[in-house]
Amino acid sequence: MYTWISNENDRAQWQAFVDAAKKKDPAFDLTLEGPSFNDYWTKVKTRLSSSGAPCIITTQAARAQELKDLTVPLDDMVKSNNVDVSMYNKAMIDGLTVDGSLRGIPYDAEPVVLYYNKDLLSAAGVKEPTLNYTTAQFTSDLKALTKDGVTGLAVPPGFGAGPGLPLAFANGNEPVKDGKLDLTNQGLVQDQQFAFDLAAKEKVAAPPQASDGSDVPEQQFMSGKAAMIIDGPWMYDTLTTKTQGKVGIAVVPSTSGQSIGMIQGSAFAIAASCKDKETAFKNIMKITTPEVVGAVGAARGTVPSVESAIKDWAGNKPAADVAVVEALLKSGRPLVTTPTWNQVETNFTQYSGDGFRGSKSAQEILSTIANSAK
Amino acid sequence: MTAIPTLAVKNAKKPARVTGHGKLAAVYLAPGMLGFLIFIVVPLIASLVISLFDWPLFGTPKFVGLENYTRMLAGDPVFWTVLGNTLFFAVCYTVLNLVLALGVSTWLHSLGSWGPFFRVLFFIPVVTPMVANALVWRLMLTDDGVVNSFLANFGIHGPSWLSNSQLAMGSLIAMSLWQGIGYNIIVLGAGLNGISPNLLEAARIDGAGAWQRFFRVVLPMLSPSLFFCTVMTIIGAFKVFTQPYLLTLGGPGESTNTIVLYLYRNGFSFDKLGYASALAWALFVIVMLITALQFSQQKRLVNYDN
Repeated sequence: MYTWISNENDRAQWQAFVDAAKKKDPAFDLTLEGPSFNDYWTKVKTRLSSSGAPCIITTQAARAQELKDLTVPLDDMVKSNNVDVSMYNKAMIDGLTVDGSLRGIPYDAEPVVLYYNKDLLSAAGVKEPTLNYTTAQFTSDLKALTKDGVTGLAVPPGFGAGPGLPLAFANGNEPVKDGKLDLTNQGLVQDQQFAFDLAAKEKVAAPPQASDGSDVPEQQFMSGKAAMIIDGPWMYDTLTTKTQGKVGIAVVPSTSGQSIGMIQGSAFAIAASCKDKETAFKNIMKITTPEVVGAVGAARGTVPSVESAIKDWAGNKPAADVAVVEALLKSGRPLVTTPTWNQVETNFTQYSGDGFRGSKSAQEILSTIANSAK
Repeated sequence: MTAIPTLAVKNAKKPARVTGHGKLAAVYLAPGMLGFLIFIVVPLIASLVISLFDWPLFGTPKFVGLENYTRMLAGDPVFWTVLGNTLFFAVCYTVLNLVLALGVSTWLHSLGSWGPFFRVLFFIPVVTPMVANALVWRLMLTDDGVVNSFLANFGIHGPSWLSNSQLAMGSLIAMSLWQGIGYNIIVLGAGLNGISPNLLEAARIDGAGAWQRFFRVVLPMLSPSLFFCTVMTIIGAFKVFTQPYLLTLGGPGESTNTIVLYLYRNGFSFDKLGYASALAWALFVIVMLITALQFSQQKRLVNYDN
């Protein structure tokens, strides 16, 4: 299998799939190879162009469009093997469907959530947010939290990873419509401007540097320098155990308070160059059973793509946190992108410094990106 | 009658055959030429071919003729911005580098036994990996980095060195100067060491002051070294990549985006190898023309008399 292996944690995650599948089939094994996550999206294209390329690759709902030429449609194999794809998270299946055909079997479904530092909220007299959280209340809370060297929100410079897109999703605004970029739709522009203004006008967030990775705002949050951060549930174990203070999660705020989740997640797909696609598909199905994705969720913290396996991931987590993830999984929509999404992300990171510092508006930035990433 | 010349030709002595070492030279040259062929000529031709295609990292390339070039010159405003940025960087960096390196090397030349020590000190950043240098500078120049923390001690609220479009390019130039100046200090120092003290002594006896000796004797004698430094520094400046890639990502906006960063992204992030190759050829032609222009002025500006 060709996948991202950034560090020993990644390798342990993939090994967890193999180990869980071995419980049912002791002879099962997978050979793992691949670069870091950041390099993966370039190198998977060159690796699959060379001879002896692996049959199984990993993909994401947000990358399914970009990698569509590398992967094969699975619909016929799904039918012939009597696989019930309805057991998987619908948003993930929608996200992995390209031009009407399914390109991967998801193993996780991760709705972006709002993490908050309970101790800092308590000290500032701010009520903990839960399943209903309005942007007006969010702004008011951030203002109350910003004092004594602490900022309300930690923000990364990226688009998908940054606060703007999850806030837009929460209001039902998405960046792609009918398979085409729709970055300048009024709702998305307004929500992105709201995110910029948190740093530029309200001063409740420190404007990020373009070169900041996601680790910089995460460090701010964990060290207690920021009270809230919008991030994926894949960071749950890290943020809850390494932050100075107790951590809780809530839905990403929306204008009405009823939030729509932005679901991201990964999947296993079959490389177009694979000679034995049927065997590859059977192997994928062995590592995407409810038992396996549940076991991996319990061991590695990934939110399972199968609803019946959520209980394995939930384990001893607080019921309120589990309820947030479950609610967002039900309401959530997949982050669907276009083949030029990498350009959108790169350009946004490049331009976001101007937005977070108030020297350019969201309208200007998103229009520029929309024009260059056509 | 007609036979005489024929006879003359027949009887004429054949010119002595010059026995050279052509084959031996070819054998000696082969490894180098083979490397040049495989790693320079073939990729050069390949990139020219690729520039005529819409060539993704995966999938079938599609022939588009000169479309990548027309798009670059007429349909992509970012190209002209990154070209302008690169020119600005190259001019500022080269001028500042040469002026500072000349000043420092002249100062070090006059230091006596301490000169070599400081020369090594200035050269250390050159041999330190650029990535490590850039990361250190990033820690220094971020909003709450070392520089702004230092300024805060005096009640000064430091600017966003890397996120302000007016300052970001200046920060890159400063970092690049710190990184690259040591090389020219060494080259110019060697040039200064090569100037005969007798010449300077003669100028002094003739009544030339310090500035006159510098501008009328040292500078002309140093012109071959200066010429070499100018050519190499300009070529290096046009290829600037690591500094914006690690410090600013080309931002804010496009203010520090350079042509090599732009072509790298087009090739390996945006999946447009054809367009990236066209950009690479534009860079190649520009650098070649500037270098040719420099060499055309060599006889006029460079003094090779001892």
